[in-house]
Amino acid sequence: MTTSPWQQELKKCVKCGACMAVCPIYRQTGREEMVARGKLNLIERLNDKNELPPGWIEAVDLCLLCCSCEENCPKGVKITEIIADARYRQTEQLGLNPIKKSAFSLLKNRFLSLPRFLKAGSFLQWLLWRRLPRHSGLVRRLPLPGLDDKTVIPALPQKHLDDYLKKRQTPTSNLKPVIYFPGCATRYLYPQMGLDLLYVLELLGFQGVVPKELNCCGMVTWGAGDQKSNQELKQRNLEVFRKHSDIKEIVTGCASCGHALKEYEDLPQECEILDISEFLFRHREKLEELVGTDKLEKKITYHDPCHLRKGQGITSQPRWLLKLIAGENFIEMRHPERCCGAAGTFGLSHKEISREILAEKAHDTDATGAEIVTSGCPGCLLQLTEGAVVADSKWQAEHPISLLADLLRKGVR
Amino acid sequence: MTGPVNPIRNQFIEELKQSGFTDKQIVVADESRACYGYDATRQSADPMLVLLPENGLQVETALQLAAKRKLKIFPRGAASGMSGGSIPSSDGIILSLTRMKQILEIDQENMIATVEPGVITGELQEEVGRLGLFYPPDPASLAFSTIGGNVAENAGGPRAVKYGVTADYVMGLEAVLVNGETIRSGNKCVKSVSGYDLTSLLVGSEGTLAVITKILLKLLPAPETVKTSLLAFPSMTAAAHAINAMFKNQIEPSTIEFLDHHSINAVRDGLPFSLPEEADTVLLVEIDGTATGVLSQSQKLKELFKDDALLLIEAQNESEREQLWIARRRLSPAIANLAPHKINEDIAVPRSAIPEVIARLENLSEKIALPIVCFGHAGDGNIHVNVMLDKDDPDQARRGHQAIDEIFAVTLELGGTLSGEHGIGNTKSAYLDKEWNPATIATMRAIKRAFDPDNRLNPGKIFQQLERYL
Repeated sequence: MTTSPWQQELKKCVKCGACMAVCPIYRQTGREEMVARGKLNLIERLNDKNELPPGWIEAVDLCLLCCSCEENCPKGVKITEIIADARYRQTEQLGLNPIKKSAFSLLKNRFLSLPRFLKAGSFLQWLLWRRLPRHSGLVRRLPLPGLDDKTVIPALPQKHLDDYLKKRQTPTSNLKPVIYFPGCATRYLYPQMGLDLLYVLELLGFQGVVPKELNCCGMVTWGAGDQKSNQELKQRNLEVFRKHSDIKEIVTGCASCGHALKEYEDLPQECEILDISEFLFRHREKLEELVGTDKLEKKITYHDPCHLRKGQGITSQPRWLLKLIAGENFIEMRHPERCCGAAGTFGLSHKEISREILAEKAHDTDATGAEIVTSGCPGCLLQLTEGAVVADSKWQAEHPISLLADLLRKGVR
Repeated sequence: MTGPVNPIRNQFIEELKQSGFTDKQIVVADESRACYGYDATRQSADPMLVLLPENGLQVETALQLAAKRKLKIFPRGAASGMSGGSIPSSDGIILSLTRMKQILEIDQENMIATVEPGVITGELQEEVGRLGLFYPPDPASLAFSTIGGNVAENAGGPRAVKYGVTADYVMGLEAVLVNGETIRSGNKCVKSVSGYDLTSLLVGSEGTLAVITKILLKLLPAPETVKTSLLAFPSMTAAAHAINAMFKNQIEPSTIEFLDHHSINAVRDGLPFSLPEEADTVLLVEIDGTATGVLSQSQKLKELFKDDALLLIEAQNESEREQLWIARRRLSPAIANLAPHKINEDIAVPRSAIPEVIARLENLSEKIALPIVCFGHAGDGNIHVNVMLDKDDPDQARRGHQAIDEIFAVTLELGGTLSGEHGIGNTKSAYLDKEWNPATIATMRAIKRAFDPDNRLNPGKIFQQLERYL
């Protein structure tokens, strides 16, 4: 592997061990080579080595990129950047995993192949998958390699967010435009979540503009070490932002997209990326007035998405929102900050560890007695649904914006 | 990849497997061994093997089998140590106790917890806290360090001024000798004077006498409440007088942390409160206990220093408390920006000698032309002395080395000790004879030899390696 451009950063790690207190992988495995200081130690020692022993690669691979260690690092070492870069240099040498390679080329060809591919899937999925009785999502009908009977995949909808938007009428009154960056998961898997978000924006006096040319935020390619695709996606998005540079606020309801976008180096001047919870908090007076005394009559709890809490430092705004929605019915779970184990494709590639992490999250969720667990990240929501299946529990996983939209629809009616 | 073929290791592994060790408990892979040979001192050595025993019996087995082949054993907890206490040699075996992490019992009637050595200190505190109980020792690493490591190093923390150190809470131990036999010391009795006190001997022995496998810990009733205040003074002497005044006026803080003026300058920008320009020393004071007791003591504190302190802020709630602690917590990364490297010592002196030490270190700093930043536990005289330098510059490295010699000389002259809470390990062993006379060191060595005749248990720690092992 070539020498890390993060050489100086690597040296900042003094191996104090603070990462051990928070790393979900270390919590499950108890193994030093799986925790940040161990991985950094390996990466440092792999510099300039021609040979990449498989065990060392596996250790670098076993990371959720959940940023827990980074948030807790007294030296502020940019651990996830170092790990993503190590993956990049590995893929340069060994090539990208073929499954990821084809998936990423689909991602980059959004206009043609990806939507078509997914729509074909929406018809064919019923051959292999069946709907969960109490939850959204699907589980397998027949034995499939690498997936057990509790693995939940999202039901592929026949219509994508873009299809709804074509026909959707925006109220004609003077709405102030903001860019809405839905992200792939919302766009293709959970279009209703996107519609809910747009609805709330409109009630607040904003029109969510969704430029068709928006691409994947790049998070998944960055995490896999595919820097080329990551750069390509980033540049395409930046072009869109520049084209609409008269609109200063870019809102997203996806924690991972928000985290990725905030890391873009050359955003247009004064352009601001906002998680939906941040945006709503800015307009809290208006929103509090809209909600009035209506409250959701169900117990709800909240899981902090890693890319919201540790990636963007956002903890209080979602809680304010949930208290607004459910009042006293909002109950904190124990360790809301702990990763749910989804981490993009990690849940699929490292099922066993991901499940162990999820089992603890499901336990903490169960203990609250909540009927709904909320989280501002589609990836977490899918994983939490699987958590309910694994734990044989009844709770549903919902984005706070969907609960808010439901509440407001009732009020408006 | 398992490295070069090593017949002794392979035979040893075979015997371990026959005795019930699973593949997961025997670690030979290069990438794993590479991660079990460091600690927080930036030293590193890859051990030839790592073992992850799950109970005392497996520790016995490992030591019995190692004894047959005269292999070296290096016990390891979370390896967050600051003196190289767990650094192995390349022909040694790391015995990682992290899998022995059961809290075996919390005896509420006798207020004693029985734990395995791999229990994380902070997790024990959380568990006993849920029962209204309190385990006070609070090393900075408590969120990830293990009780076993804390006991082996006799760890302290900010609360030591009121609550003492780890040793004050260890009621009894179970430990495995280097030949694989288990010894027991202490019990649940508050009064217990039968035979030599082996508990006291093993606490702080840095893994050189036996491998601790079970620990009985004294617990206290949890304090009802805690009040945090931040005080600024124009000089270290004024701050020291203030500390004396607190004790004379029956104020018994649980924590008195101090920051010297270098520390203050390193964190001043970005503090959530503004510090007066002329602030030279900052004290962070915590008072805990019953609600009424804390209230009257903190009122007394305010009255006492309303004229002398340049600043006195009292936290009114948890978030304000966090804000006051920010200055202290940001210190370590902030001073890291002052120079590429630091030499960090944790000397301790009688509390009354603090102003004198600080003044002398100030002179030393001028003499060697390197910044020396001091902060730490003013209540108990434990000072973290940081010499800031660039080790790649040979001249600075030489001056840094000279500084350490002088820091220790000053400390010992004023009745202090080389280490308040980090231990001697392999980083300070060269200075041991500066603190203790030959007869004292010979006595310590005789004890070591009685426990470990072949010098196979954590060799190279506390004592300097001699050509002949006594």
